[in-house]
Parts: sequence; C-alpha cells; structure tokens
Amino acid sequence: MWKDLGDREAGKLRPYSFSNRITSDRIASLQLSNYKEIVSPHRGAVNSLQVDLTEGRYLLSGASDASAAVYDIQRATEYEGGSLVAKHKSIFVVDKQHEHGHKYAISSAIWYPIDTGLFITGSYDHYINVWDTNTTQVVVNFKMPGKIYRTAMSSLATAHMLIAAGTEDVQVRLCDIASGAFAHTLSGHRDGVMTVEWSTSSEWVLVTGGCDGAIRFWDIRRAGCFLVLDQSQSQLGRRPPLLECSTANKAPMSKSFPASQSVNVRSRAPQRKFAYGNGSKQSATGRTSSQAKGLVRQRLHPGMLSSQDRATSHYGAVTGLKVTDDGMYLLSAGSDSRLRLWDIMSGCNTLVNFETVRLQTSKAMQLAITNDSALVFVPCMTAVKAFDVWSGKTAMTFRGHYEYVNCCWLSLQDQELYTGGNDRQILVWSPSRLNFDEMDHGSREEPIHAQDQDNWSD
Amino acid sequence: MEAIPGPSTARKRRRDEENVPESEDYDEALSLEQSLTFSDTLVALRIMRAQFPQIEKVSVQPFILRSQLYSSVKDRTQVDRELESLRRDKVLRIFKLNTGQDDHAIMFMDDYLNQIERVIKRMAAKKQDELAVFEWFKTHVITSKLEPSIEHQELCSLLSFGGNVKDEHISLLINAGLLTRQLIDPNMYWFAIPNIGSLLKGLSQGRKELLSFLNRRRYKEMMLAPLEKKRLRLSPLDMRFHLRDLIGSGHVKTVHTPTGLVVRVSKD
Repeated sequence: MWKDLGDREAGKLRPYSFSNRITSDRIASLQLSNYKEIVSPHRGAVNSLQVDLTEGRYLLSGASDASAAVYDIQRATEYEGGSLVAKHKSIFVVDKQHEHGHKYAISSAIWYPIDTGLFITGSYDHYINVWDTNTTQVVVNFKMPGKIYRTAMSSLATAHMLIAAGTEDVQVRLCDIASGAFAHTLSGHRDGVMTVEWSTSSEWVLVTGGCDGAIRFWDIRRAGCFLVLDQSQSQLGRRPPLLECSTANKAPMSKSFPASQSVNVRSRAPQRKFAYGNGSKQSATGRTSSQAKGLVRQRLHPGMLSSQDRATSHYGAVTGLKVTDDGMYLLSAGSDSRLRLWDIMSGCNTLVNFETVRLQTSKAMQLAITNDSALVFVPCMTAVKAFDVWSGKTAMTFRGHYEYVNCCWLSLQDQELYTGGNDRQILVWSPSRLNFDEMDHGSREEPIHAQDQDNWSD
Repeated sequence: MEAIPGPSTARKRRRDEENVPESEDYDEALSLEQSLTFSDTLVALRIMRAQFPQIEKVSVQPFILRSQLYSSVKDRTQVDRELESLRRDKVLRIFKLNTGQDDHAIMFMDDYLNQIERVIKRMAAKKQDELAVFEWFKTHVITSKLEPSIEHQELCSLLSFGGNVKDEHISLLINAGLLTRQLIDPNMYWFAIPNIGSLLKGLSQGRKELLSFLNRRRYKEMMLAPLEKKRLRLSPLDMRFHLRDLIGSGHVKTVHTPTGLVVRVSKD
C-alpha cells in the first residue's frame, strides 16, 4: 500500500486506478464488523435500507412494524466494550404512535435524492408519505389503490421530482411532490408491480418488474413502454464492439423495425432493433415493440401496442432490480430463484449463470452493486452472497442473520455493507481492520492504552 | 471439484475427457465417482445420453436435465452459453418440464425426431386420420421455432405452410403429447416430450426419496460409492441420474474426504 502511494505520487499509477484498487481490496475483505454496530429500534422485519446519496452519512430504515428510523453512521452515539465497539443508535424513529405515521408495514423508505431534508416512505396501508426530516412531520401524502411494494426517485433528475410507486395494482403511478398530485400512470403490466428503479443514465427512463415476470422500460415522456425484456432473447456475453456487429450477433430472429404501426397478421418476430445498426442514443429514441396478435383487433394507440407483448424475463415474479452505475446492464432477481444480467442496449439476456440455489419469493428484495460493477450483493435466504457479475461465481458469503435477509445497501464511500432482515437486526459488514487506527477514535475521552493494559503489560 | 482417479484397473480412465468417447458402452464400467465432471458441455451431454437408464415399460429417448449438466461441468455460465449456441445450431432442443420446479430437459434433435416418429406410429395404430399435421409439425414448426414455447397464432401460421389448419389438428398435437398449454397464459404452448409422464412422476418421487434417505441418516451424509449402488424404490430412473440432478440443483453437495467423495445434504 505504501509502495502504491509512492507510485501514485511519482505518477506511475493513475489516481483512479489507485483508488479503485484500494476500494476493491477493502470490499474483498468485508466481514461482520467488530467495531461498529447499529442498534435497531424496530420490532418488525427490516424491509428497506438506504444511505443518503448526498453525504453518505445517514442510514434510513423502514420496517414491518410501521416504523422508520434514521441513524448517523459516521459518528457513534456511544462506545462500549472498552471503547472498542461503536454503537449507533437511531437519531429518531417514526412509528404507529406518530399522528401521521403509517398503520401497516413500511415496505420502502428512501431519501429525497437532492438532500436529506425529506424522506419518502411507502407502506402497505396504501399511503406514500413524504416526511420533513428536521421536524419529522408529513408534508405530502399520496393514496394509492393498493399495497405499495416499492417507491423510487431518480437521482439524476433535474427537471422533475416524481416518485415512482409500484403497487399491487397493475398500473405504475408517478407522484409529483411539487404539485401533490399524480403525474402519470403507466399501464402495461398484467399483475402487481413489485420493483421499480430509475435508470442511471437518463432521468426519463424507469424500469419496472412485475409479478407477471415481465421487466418493462418506460420513457415517461411517452405513452407505453419501449422495451420488454424477454428471457429467450439472449446474447453470449458482452456485446462485441461496433466494427464486428454484422457477423457477431447471432440472434435467432430477424430484426425488423416496424415502420408503421398497422395491425397486420404476421408471424411473431421480436422487434429488437440493435443499437449498433443506428448511432442514436437508446433511451431517447422510440423503440416501440409491437406485436400483432389476431385478425380482428381494435386499433390501439401506437405507444400502447407494447401491452400486447407478453414476454417474460423470469418464470415467476421479478423480486429485485438493480441498474449498474454506467447504465448499461441490469440485474434482475426473480422468484424462480434466478438472477439474470441483461444488456440494456440490446435487450438481451447475457446468459451469466449466478449460482443461486434459493431466493426469497414472497417479498421484494434490494440488491447492491459496486460502482465498477464487479460484484453484486444478493440476499439469499439467511445469507447475503456476493457474486462476480461476469462469471457468476460466488465471491463471498455473509452469514450472520438469524432469519431471511430482505435488503442490503453498499455504502461506496466507506465500503461498508448494511443488511436488514426478518430478525429485526441491521448488521454492518466492514473491511477488516488489522492495525488499530488512532485517527478515527480521537474523539473519545479515555486513552486506549488504559483499556488494554492489565497487570502484565509493560 | 474434480473426481479422484480410481484404482489402477483395466477399466481406469482419465478424468479430463477431451477426446470424444469412441464407443457407448462406458456406462456400467464407470462409477459415478470417476466420471462426475467433464470438461466440455457436448462431451458431457453425449456421455450422459449414453448413461441414460434403460426402462422397459416406457419408450422414451434419452434426455438430460439441465441440473445434471450443471453438476458435470464446472462453469455454469459456460454451460449456459454452449447450450445456447448448440440450440441455435439445431443440434439439440430444450424443453421446460412441468414437474412444478424449474426443470429443463435437453434432448438431441435426432432423438426428438425419433420420438415423434414413434408417436406417429402409435397414432396410426390407433387408426387416427389427419396424420398430416405431424408432418407439418416436423417440417415447419420444429425447424424454425427453436424456443421452448410457442404462441397460438404463430403455431397456426407455421403449420399452415403445410396445409389448411383446423382446431382439431391442434387438439391432435396436444393429445399426442407434443404440445401442452401453459397454465398462466391460455394462448401459449410449451413444446413437450411425448410419453414422458411416468418418468416425470418417477423423477419427483425419486428426488424426494433420495433426499429423505439422506436426511434420515444421523449426519445427513453418505459415501458416494455405496450410495450409488442403492436402488430407488419409487423411480424407474437410476441413482446416478438422480444424484447428478440433485448435485446440480444444489440440494446436495459432494465433499472430498481422504476415503472418497461424500454426498451431504446442503443446508442453505
């Protein structure tokens, strides 16, 4: 490490690769933290965890007993174990006793992406509440037609502040904080929507995964979805670079781009327009996938033809979605206990086989991915496993929870993993700390040595 | 995990099988311990096809389960990709089985066409007319639709290349066992292997029997060599078939010990 530091100083090692090396080394040495602990005030399963995106300092958790709590993960509230273990208690908790609190389980708690002044909770009592953090009061709430499974806000958004909500109703609703009303309703799914995620490359693209097994991509400026992922469309690994496009892609069906949206009887060919045949950016242009079904059909709006597309991406419900930071790949977890990696641009399954034996099927789960997209953390029953994204092999297994794990969040700033499960605990997994680091504990009153000494010390 | 080479006898053979097997009478001569893993998917498929048990009552061509392939080749991603390219080259077909769990069966194209021939003969023996639809199925549908499922409209349009398609034709195909309706979606059909029903029942029951046998033992494990010689009561498929399947689906794992491989129930 010191040699690397010297190399960086001399210019032999690039700064970005130096910091990447340090972070990936730290992530590879993650283990149950022996110096940091979070005291969870929840009396129900922890369903959702998120560290705020602006400072990386506050952790928000939502639980099944309708409570949501915020913790400061950088400064501990107290120390114990002879000043060796830092305990982080919650800064505040909002639960059923609060006058505007939720009545049933909170399934999703997220921070407002711009700052930590607001947070949004979605619950099984059909309400989405937007809370002011400093006064812990509800400022806006939205009533949904069904239980809310997941809420999401885009971290890239500069032109809108829409909350996307996936509920047990088949329509995805977008709620606008600024006006307090619903902005959009996206129809196309045939069953409840369990997961919603915003794209990391465009503020207008939303990805949703439903209980019908379909994953749909929506551009919210237009009607209908522009892409439905089909698990039988596959490509062998990464897409080849542009120059070899004509021979390399061996998709079985012909690629036909529908010039007109007329209703014709024709044999079903998936309308996959491959991006390297055309230089334009994928998310902005229209790529409607239209299907022709029967001889007699009413004329649908061209954008709504995608609702006829019944391609599934999993054999069961889609329980987890995660878009990589570069916006090129999507990881999806399904109740068929599979994890799939999709190439977003081509809409194909890359056929990477992740060695998952069983995944939780009844609840939605949160996946976490490192920012260089090398490792993905997946809650598998009572353990959290880290898989290598491109080979599918298990890199690490984190066993610590007593019951099923629901959510995990990787804090990229400190390279720490937070996991929450049905056993009401939030566990912290941090890089192993070999030498005692004086700098972090300068704020404590007693010197460390006094604790370590005993009659035999010199 | 690699298999430990057996004692030096006349029938010893190397673990890494780069060469394509010359003859097909390797099955009884090899214990599972020696031939647990292979290097290549196609080699694994051919050898497992050769090791498919002979069943008297049911006439089904050999098929291989996907979980068996996962237990035989180390890298699962490589298995998936090679299966995909073999499927696109029309060397084999993949079928989704309706055992209730996520099972896929792989059958070589020649075997599948043989199976269809047998079905046609059986239907002809029952004096069914309108057998032309099977020919249309073989020539038009199977060669062009390589996925495990097909939509009703597309099926009709592909069959109509042969002749005039009526609903009775589709019912005939379903009665013969070549197509099954999907439970979730009334407009989609799965391709199916005909005459496979009793084998599927044997598959689920054999799995349960083997797992309960191992679970009843004190330490939930057993040495592979004696385990392989046991016979399953409820399943016509042999122990080796079930072991490969359970190892690949992750219910059971193998552990190396100084005395050989041990099969243990995995708790996860």
